[in-house]
Amino acid sequence: MANQNGVMYGLTIFSPIIDDDHVTPSHDLQLREYFASLPTGPESPFAQAPFTHLARLFVLDDVVFVGKPSKEEHLKSKYLIFESNFDGDLDTYLMGLVRYAPEHVDATWSHCVGYPGIADAAAFVRYMKACQLETTFYFAAVNSQTLTQTLKALQTQRLVAEFIASHQASKPAALQHAFAAFLMELRAQPLPRPGRATIERTLQTGGHNE
Amino acid sequence: MSKLNASDIQGFALRGYGMPLARYVFLQLGEPERARTLIGKLLPTVTTGQRWDQGKPRSTLNIAFSFRGLMQLDLPLATLVSFPVEFQEGMKARGGILGDTGANGSRHWNSVWHDGDKVHLWICIHALVPMEIESRYAELERLLEETGGATILQYQDAGSLVIDGMPTNKEHFGYTDGFGNPDYLGIERKSQPGQGKLMKDGSWAPLATGELLLGYADEAGELPVAPVPHLLAANGTFMVYRKLQQNVVAFREHLERWSAVYPGGKEKLASKFMGRWRDGTPVELSADRPDWSIVQDPERSTNFTYGDDLDGTKCPIGGHIRRANPRDTFGFNGALVNRRRITRRGLTYGSYVAEDQPVSDEERGIIFIVLNACISRQFEFIQQQWMEYGNDAHLGNDKDLITGNHGGAGKSVIQGDTTRENPPLICDKLTNFVELKGGDYFFLPSITALGMIAFGIVDPR
Repeated sequence: MANQNGVMYGLTIFSPIIDDDHVTPSHDLQLREYFASLPTGPESPFAQAPFTHLARLFVLDDVVFVGKPSKEEHLKSKYLIFESNFDGDLDTYLMGLVRYAPEHVDATWSHCVGYPGIADAAAFVRYMKACQLETTFYFAAVNSQTLTQTLKALQTQRLVAEFIASHQASKPAALQHAFAAFLMELRAQPLPRPGRATIERTLQTGGHNE
Repeated sequence: MSKLNASDIQGFALRGYGMPLARYVFLQLGEPERARTLIGKLLPTVTTGQRWDQGKPRSTLNIAFSFRGLMQLDLPLATLVSFPVEFQEGMKARGGILGDTGANGSRHWNSVWHDGDKVHLWICIHALVPMEIESRYAELERLLEETGGATILQYQDAGSLVIDGMPTNKEHFGYTDGFGNPDYLGIERKSQPGQGKLMKDGSWAPLATGELLLGYADEAGELPVAPVPHLLAANGTFMVYRKLQQNVVAFREHLERWSAVYPGGKEKLASKFMGRWRDGTPVELSADRPDWSIVQDPERSTNFTYGDDLDGTKCPIGGHIRRANPRDTFGFNGALVNRRRITRRGLTYGSYVAEDQPVSDEERGIIFIVLNACISRQFEFIQQQWMEYGNDAHLGNDKDLITGNHGGAGKSVIQGDTTRENPPLICDKLTNFVELKGGDYFFLPSITALGMIAFGIVDPR
């Protein structure tokens, strides 16, 4: 099935946004404001709920006419687009969002047509599946590793590099001894939390530059 | 193929003059009409790209403007707003994008670059002997007095690094510099394999002219973003000027510290940092020892690829020249780098200190000058993604060992193999070996455009 590749599930959801002339600011604008304020670090709902490698939420206003010879077309509605690459099966993942980030789920999908709320989690899952499109492209390059394995691998890579850097002049016996101790330490390391950068990246991004 | 009118292009854009001395003069323009008169007087003295059939002149002069300089010259608003946004903002404002933060942040820059965006005009004089610099400079001062068109804020002297009384093409860390500027279609130049773009059959071809000059097709078959009118832009280019101070003590200490645990020895380690041995031998062509015969052979000195060394066991993936010009490192036969190439000019400043001598407090470094058609796509991309970040090369957050803004916490991996002489090495706790002391973005116009500016006839309609 195209939605699954290795351990990775690629989810694409198009939820029509409520079009109500009596609401100001409009539902789509409220969503835009909400998304602009969503944290991207460990406080992100996708870091708090389990299994997400990468997720993206955005408002699709319409398709843009780019000039002739293309044909001018329009969407029937504005859509909230939710894309996520995660581990495991869809039901478990959606239930996790309801369980670990209920206020975010509500604040997001309550602007959408037909949203049943989260009091009945099974109804929410049915609603999301009704809005689902088949996913054929994945963002994540690592489809064979779970989120936990990836986080652990990054931690191991960083700590091993630090260990090597500080033991490059060691004599073999001392190195072996230090490595045994390091292995114990490595195994005892708590699993890093998702969404937490180990090194602060100060480079400003965007524009033409990436 | 692009046909170029070399006499309409500033010589500085077309070729490195190969002169041992330079003076970069930074000026603040005066009242617009006087400033235009000055440009008009300077116009006949500007060195063009015409061939030097009568032999090399004794000195040259070229000029470029910052965005604020063009504003001061009262260019029409419709023209000013058509310049690329990074040029309008200037290098200081782009600090976040370039990683010019911390020790490289603008508050640590020389005051001429730090205080109030006063540098409007950049004039550079190259000469064979000091006397020629002084006489050109005196002539400039006389023109300034006569026209009242500008005042000199400061100047920066630079030159080939003199070692044992002889001008060399070395820089202060001891590396031979100045290999491998790209070739461009239509630009007459003694070229050698490895300097253009890699073709599918393994040969090298010149890059599209529009990667350097405005008004010509670039590697995407498009015209680079350029101001209106076309005539103001065509045959011009954008210039990045950066004063890079070199911390020779820190570099030498670091090299000593790590070579103590590196079985290949100090010179081999130094070669791994750069991707070239200090005499200039490409590590990719001679990984175990410097080979002067390669350096001297134009068929070989820039003629190499990294496709057979994807693990970096010969030239580390993070070696400076491999980061700056990754050639075919990222696959697709090198096609991914063809829109990220830059032409470099510039010379060193400060006196050389031999390896075994104590290093004085005198400032020393390199005046790093880039010419490219699109600052954001070319220079800024290389600086941000390939120097200050490692993701494209699968090096995580590691920055370029030589030029990175490490702030004491840098790390760099030198790949190796299982042999005794070529083990891997991880250098950590890296400090800044190079610190930015100022600079800006400039527009280096054609001779026609200089005339249009001087006569006040730039018309965007």
